Amino acid sequence: PALLCRILPTRPDRRAPNSFPVSTATAPIEGEKAMTALKSLEREFPLLDINFQSFCASHGILTVADFLTHDLHSLAAAAESQPASLRLKEGISQVLSIVDTLHQPWLDGLELLQDAMDNKRVLSTGIAAVDSFLHGGLRVGQLTELAGPSSSGKTQLCLRLASSVAKMDRGSVVYVDTGNSFSSRRIHHFLCENDDTGIVQRVMSRILRHSVFDINLLFNVLHQLEFVLGSQEYREGCKVQLLIIDSVSSLITPVLGGGSSQGYSLMTSLGVLLKKLAHEHDIAILVTNHMVGGERGNPKPALGESWKSIPHVRLLLSCDYETNTCNISTLKHPSLVSSPNSYMPKKVTESSS
Amino acid sequence: MDPWKLPISSAIQRKRLLSQSYTSHASASPSDLACADRASDVIYLLLIEPQVITSKFSVFSFLFVIGAQNAWDILLEEESMTRITTSCAELDKILGGGISCKEVTEIGGVPGIGKTQLGIQLAVNVQIPSYYGGLGGKAIYIDTEGSFMVERVLQIAEACTEDMTEYGRFLGKSIQARQVEMGPKDFLENIYYFRVCSYTEQIGLENYLDKFISEHRDVKIVVIDSVAFQFRQDFDDLAQRTRVLSAMALKLMKLAKKFSLAVVLLNQVTTKVIESSFQLALALGDSWSHSCTNRLILYWNGEERYAYIDKSPSLRSASAPYSVTSRGIRNSSSNS
Repeated sequence: PALLCRILPTRPDRRAPNSFPVSTATAPIEGEKAMTALKSLEREFPLLDINFQSFCASHGILTVADFLTHDLHSLAAAAESQPASLRLKEGISQVLSIVDTLHQPWLDGLELLQDAMDNKRVLSTGIAAVDSFLHGGLRVGQLTELAGPSSSGKTQLCLRLASSVAKMDRGSVVYVDTGNSFSSRRIHHFLCENDDTGIVQRVMSRILRHSVFDINLLFNVLHQLEFVLGSQEYREGCKVQLLIIDSVSSLITPVLGGGSSQGYSLMTSLGVLLKKLAHEHDIAILVTNHMVGGERGNPKPALGESWKSIPHVRLLLSCDYETNTCNISTLKHPSLVSSPNSYMPKKVTESSS
Repeated sequence: MDPWKLPISSAIQRKRLLSQSYTSHASASPSDLACADRASDVIYLLLIEPQVITSKFSVFSFLFVIGAQNAWDILLEEESMTRITTSCAELDKILGGGISCKEVTEIGGVPGIGKTQLGIQLAVNVQIPSYYGGLGGKAIYIDTEGSFMVERVLQIAEACTEDMTEYGRFLGKSIQARQVEMGPKDFLENIYYFRVCSYTEQIGLENYLDKFISEHRDVKIVVIDSVAFQFRQDFDDLAQRTRVLSAMALKLMKLAKKFSLAVVLLNQVTTKVIESSFQLALALGDSWSHSCTNRLILYWNGEERYAYIDKSPSLRSASAPYSVTSRGIRNSSSNS
């Protein structure tokens, strides 16, 4: 414990008091502090009066975030030519001092460990062999990628995981489906193995399927999910434990490449958003990826080099049709030794898994 | 609620909203909110009536508003959905009743195995009226190769009407009283045929389909024969082809879900060289193989034609024999 206390990472603390007075009824959510409008700061900091606000608006600055991304030297130079230049410059330095208080509070290693033990549990996938291979299953707070060739069992694993987590009754499951492959019949099949209909209906109503066919719509869904998860009323409502995106590669591939970097920035910001959602709201996230041809004809996961560093855990699935077994191996894992050759045979049949 | 606080994905959208002065409240009722079936509509409604959102809320009501469904409701819906029969009992059995709507099914096979025949049979069978257990819908047939023969369609339609009258006779007079006699010409009338001659025409047509089907809501199947043909030549930049194809696949998925219809893609085969051995694989590459919900592979087994389910989220892998007769796709003659 003494050693842990010396590790001081920063971590967004949900319970930190809101240090900004805002004019609307709802308090701003953590990451949204930078979105605070300059207008709303007027009450507490009278220096940022209407004159200052209109000066900033004329440069396209409406929020604190806009202020930070603007070139401050040119702003100060522009303030020089204004009539009340001294007051404007004082306003600029006032905003900068407000920004200094915007950093996340420090947390020590012990508090992190406590958080990991309380909130970041491990979710079982419902398949014993996979669970033992992954030392329990998928970890909450991490982004896991599942890559594999076509019909190797990725969707089946996702459906199995969804039914297993829904059965645990600790939260709901959000399933984002991009290829119309969400099979409620299959989920019903997995759940009916052990339970009777009344329970099955309740468990199945905890799994929400959303069909998304466009990457911008996916961003909309995730942003709105983030908004709802951060709101006060949600905390009393039903918690989200698991988010599955099957498959994320079919949404990203149409925009990736082609000379512009728009696709890469979309992919990276998606990764950042997913990891943020996972960590701040205690969700486990699983995304699936397909394979493309690599060098010398060996298949490799799609989405390229930039994607490789985004997920916390990368798993590779392969299927052997003759023996009807599937192999799972790790490409990247924070606490398991990654070796592409190690595998765990997992028999895939109609009735069992 | 101020627009800049909203979780809108790009700064450009936010600035656009600000420029349109979305700062004041207008009245929008909760029922308007519930009717908004697109996420972008909800963003605009959020601007207008934020109190509705923040007052009594849970993840479920929120996601319901933007179009999510829970698994139990989907199950009930799926069980009541009719499938499109293939006229071959064995094939229907492995498909769980037939080709299902709201899904994209890819059918691939070597030339001459009967892909176009199956496509035509499905375009005819989708029109079987509901009192005979069919969907009673219309079909869109997109022909990229020129393999659509009208005489053959007429032949299959005639066989279908004969089968229907015989089935009606078997069921008794009660059906015949209310049925409207569907002749072979009626079957032909209900197939919307498009001929495309280049990949640009194909992409353009796919973009147009949304508008077309909004005007012709009774279309229940879209058959594309074959999806690979126009993309195999003239494409120097393979990366661009992958992008174009994956965008096309997403559009087709969206079409299938939005209008609850079946999309059937017929694909060709190509030879793949793996470790100095040849193997037959479906055309259009690895990325395309992820762009369908179900995949059916048609192959020869000796003298017999067989169909194999290669990919399906809910069906077990199985094979079934079928045959191509003058009446269309039928059960295999050598039944065990």
